[in-house]
Amino acid sequence: MFLHNLKYELLSTLRHPALIFWLMLFPIFLGTVFKIGFGSIYEEDTLFSSIPTAVVETADNSILREVVDAVSGDDSPLLKTTYTDEDTALEMLRSGEVKGIICSGDKVTLTVKNSGIEQSILKSFIEQYGVYETIIKDTLENDPANAQKVIAALSADVKACTEKPVTQGNTDLFVQYFYNLIAMVAIFGSETGLHITKDNQANMSSLGARRNISPTPKSISLSASLVGCFIAQAVCMVICVTFIVFVLKVDLGGDLLLVYASSIVGGCLGVTMGFLIGSIARISADAKDAVSMSVSMAFCFLSGLFISNIKGIIADTVPWVNSINPVAIISDCFYCLNLYNDYTRYSVKMISMAIYIVLFSALGVILTRRKKYASI
Amino acid sequence: MKNTVVKAENIIKRYGDLVALDHFSLEISEGEIFGLLGPNGSGKTTTINCILSLLSFDKGSIEIFGKPMTPTSYDIKKNIGVIMQNVAVFDELTVYENIDYFCGLYITDKAQRKQYVDEAVEFVGLEDFLRFRPKKLSGGLLRRLNIACGIAHKPKLIILDEPTVAVDPQSRNRILEGIEELNRNGATVIYTSHYMEEVEQICTRIAIMDKGKKIAEGTKDELKRMIRNTETVTIEILGLEDRIKDRISTLPHVYSTEYDGTKLTVGCSGGKHNLVRILGVLQENDLSFGRVYSELPTLNDVFLEITGKALRDKED
Repeated sequence: MFLHNLKYELLSTLRHPALIFWLMLFPIFLGTVFKIGFGSIYEEDTLFSSIPTAVVETADNSILREVVDAVSGDDSPLLKTTYTDEDTALEMLRSGEVKGIICSGDKVTLTVKNSGIEQSILKSFIEQYGVYETIIKDTLENDPANAQKVIAALSADVKACTEKPVTQGNTDLFVQYFYNLIAMVAIFGSETGLHITKDNQANMSSLGARRNISPTPKSISLSASLVGCFIAQAVCMVICVTFIVFVLKVDLGGDLLLVYASSIVGGCLGVTMGFLIGSIARISADAKDAVSMSVSMAFCFLSGLFISNIKGIIADTVPWVNSINPVAIISDCFYCLNLYNDYTRYSVKMISMAIYIVLFSALGVILTRRKKYASI
Repeated sequence: MKNTVVKAENIIKRYGDLVALDHFSLEISEGEIFGLLGPNGSGKTTTINCILSLLSFDKGSIEIFGKPMTPTSYDIKKNIGVIMQNVAVFDELTVYENIDYFCGLYITDKAQRKQYVDEAVEFVGLEDFLRFRPKKLSGGLLRRLNIACGIAHKPKLIILDEPTVAVDPQSRNRILEGIEELNRNGATVIYTSHYMEEVEQICTRIAIMDKGKKIAEGTKDELKRMIRNTETVTIEILGLEDRIKDRISTLPHVYSTEYDGTKLTVGCSGGKHNLVRILGVLQENDLSFGRVYSELPTLNDVFLEITGKALRDKED
């Protein structure tokens, strides 16, 4: 009897148009938008790429050529140089093909069209080159015997600071939008959970009435519905994470299996939240839909789906809100895995979600176990 | 003596100040097609929901198959099939899956279930629509699916709550024939409707309800015998004088005459040849007339005479 109920619960849930849209298609669409929108911002603002530069040699300057070739030939070169004549270089600058023109006359000069990060880097490079050139020329004139030592000293890569990464994970700020997207899909499971009460309560739907007059005990139909919704929600979570990681190529951090695990548990939490909302109030099915969606969106807002720093503001002002917000708990799991590599904290979050699931399910069952209704 | 299938005694159901069922009692024997007839809001569906133990009630008792009916009377529920007023199927499942699902709530043996589902599909004539989703079905086909879901497990007691609402005449006839066939196959049927023609057509016994009360009960002939009217004669006639109308009123068995300027309506109670006598009076006075009707009383006349109002609203 349980398996019979489970089979058809799964079939009907996985074919439900709202579920297909909100839990499968919408996250794929939103994730793609995030990737296109934030991906380009990140690449422009955060990732460094070689600066296209034109070099015009109006006089022979072997030192400059050597230095320019040196900074253009590494694995991650500073400059992407083009040797050309002055007119062509100016045309390239006007059209935006290059960010600046280095001209090697009596004095090395830099021409740029406008200001910006890349132009500042070029300016800094030319200024540093000027200082080094002066030192080397002075040394060659006044103390040629120590010229090699001076050049070696100038070439030495002196580091006052050493880089020590705090995480092995992806520190891209925009990845938090994907955490929240996954958390949103999980909490939208409340829509799936809402159907459990709709389809099992005689005062909510004709279908509920028909089920209530069948010889199947309510405990069996409710548990089959819950398990069916858990499985359907898990499928949606797996699709969402897989799409983000393998199609959009977003790095969600080290342990992908744990990312899947926390997504699925988060999805189950969403289902039970909807189940509880459906069980609480004696309002129409449509009103319950609206309440469930509003609660989910409010949780998403507070966890920073729409404004990225809202979660931080809440953490500073009313930290307890983050501790009870299911969406914040789900996204925290991803932070624990990716940024903090803190498995203890991750376990605490997972246990919190498990407690929520048990609590919401138990309350939902208690509230829907009623066998007779005062009105239908 | 036939066994009692449903016995409801003195049911009182209140919604706040509104008394939905007022000391309502009912006894239905095995093999009957029992009709619950009443206007919208008379308490028919409330009665059904109380019988099925879906609704709590304030007073009274209900027994089905000789046992008290409770929400956990699973052994009783196994033998009941319900066709709800609203179509109660899964939109996401196909026709076959829906019938299989609901049948599976009653029948655990897979082979038997398959046989029952196939028989139900054949019974309602949905063989060509097995892979259709409910939204693709017409209103009539959807009602048939609703019926198949309720009867696939071959219940001994079938309750149909207004199963023909918003159904075209062709599908309606098919549904009514199907109910009679189910009854011939041994099922006891409770049929609620506000369509008196349907109830008259298929029910062996009828209870008429109004404002939560049972106002009359019996076979259709017994019910019709309860009222004074046995025949209503209607004659299309122009310029009928009052003296002639009064003359008709004095004829034997005539208890009422009404004339609206174009149509004379005469109510008769008992007696034979009432129409001939009335037409005789008109001929005596050289009056010409148009169409003439003689109608036997309907359940609407029964309801009208007992409650003073028509059974069906005009929009019905």
